Amino acid sequence: MNPQNSFAPDSVSQAVPGSVEETLRLIANLPVPAGLEDRIHAGLRASKLTHKARVLAWPGRLRPASHWMHSAVVRGAAAAAIVCVVAGGGWGIYSSVRPHAPARAIVVAPHPAVSGGFASGGAMRTPQTLNGPVLTHPANGAPSAAKAPARAAQKARRTRQAADGGNAATQPSTPIAK
Amino acid sequence: MEIAENAVHSQDRALAEEEALAALVSQYAGTLYRVAFSVVRNPADAEDAVQEVFLRVLRHKDTLGEVRDQRVWLIRIVWNIVLDRKRRAKTRPETDDVSELARVLPADGLSAEQIASAAQHHAHVLACMDQLPAKERQVLMLSAFEELTSVEIAAVLNITESSVRSRLFRARNLMADLLHHPRSVR
Repeated sequence: MNPQNSFAPDSVSQAVPGSVEETLRLIANLPVPAGLEDRIHAGLRASKLTHKARVLAWPGRLRPASHWMHSAVVRGAAAAAIVCVVAGGGWGIYSSVRPHAPARAIVVAPHPAVSGGFASGGAMRTPQTLNGPVLTHPANGAPSAAKAPARAAQKARRTRQAADGGNAATQPSTPIAK
Repeated sequence: MEIAENAVHSQDRALAEEEALAALVSQYAGTLYRVAFSVVRNPADAEDAVQEVFLRVLRHKDTLGEVRDQRVWLIRIVWNIVLDRKRRAKTRPETDDVSELARVLPADGLSAEQIASAAQHHAHVLACMDQLPAKERQVLMLSAFEELTSVEIAAVLNITESSVRSRLFRARNLMADLLHHPRSVR
């Protein structure tokens, strides 16, 4: 055991068998394998070579290892370039965004045809047509003379409807000649 | 012009860093190997760990000048590396320790049977040590190195010196119990 570390009480030191100390001392004083330093140096050299091999090969003057960035002029130019890029980007965004732009109409895309639903089978909707008026007496003569009996008939019918209390709605209407 | 001067300075600096690294290798490779071997108990793994230490130093060579005690710093690095590797390779059978110890033990004119017997004995002691709690075991292992004082052990383990003392006290007690009454600790 390391004499510098023998700070435990004697009773405890004696309690530990000598075999433990012997084993630990044996390991602590193991001979170093031959050529260890050479292998470490070789490993470090190999690591440097692999560290230098990069996908992007910079030209000699622009290589980061050449410390060209330490020049005040170059650093100033780089800082100015960064400021220009940031300011330009900000101006580009500012100029493209209009704060009070009117809302545009939203174009809704047509619904895609759902497969598996019911189809029309080629059927066409036909609107229900009304039967046209049938003229019993063809109109001839002056229009004012022809309209007079019609007006009288209409008046009589309204009077009859008012008297019947709405029964006229169920009765078939008489065609009116115009 | 300034760039050229900087390049010359950087070349000088790189050269100085390489020389410093080479000096570290020649000065501390042996100590680091022994510390690594005390944990992994395998020459190849220990050598790998030492290699890994210097690769890390190479990666962080810029901070080399800021290190106050390079020896303790390097031992701390190798200690962390081997503990990490030991944790990962927990499945390794213990019989490997015996065979590895038999291979690396100094023969000193002993017969093959005596070497095998000594290796078995040391393996038994180490197996008992493995039963110690991790904190006590680590202090006990590091205390065996003559290069390390209790202050340096405390620096390696990042604890106080009084903790080193108390842990070593407990480790010795536990070790005595284990060797006299095996399996009594756990």
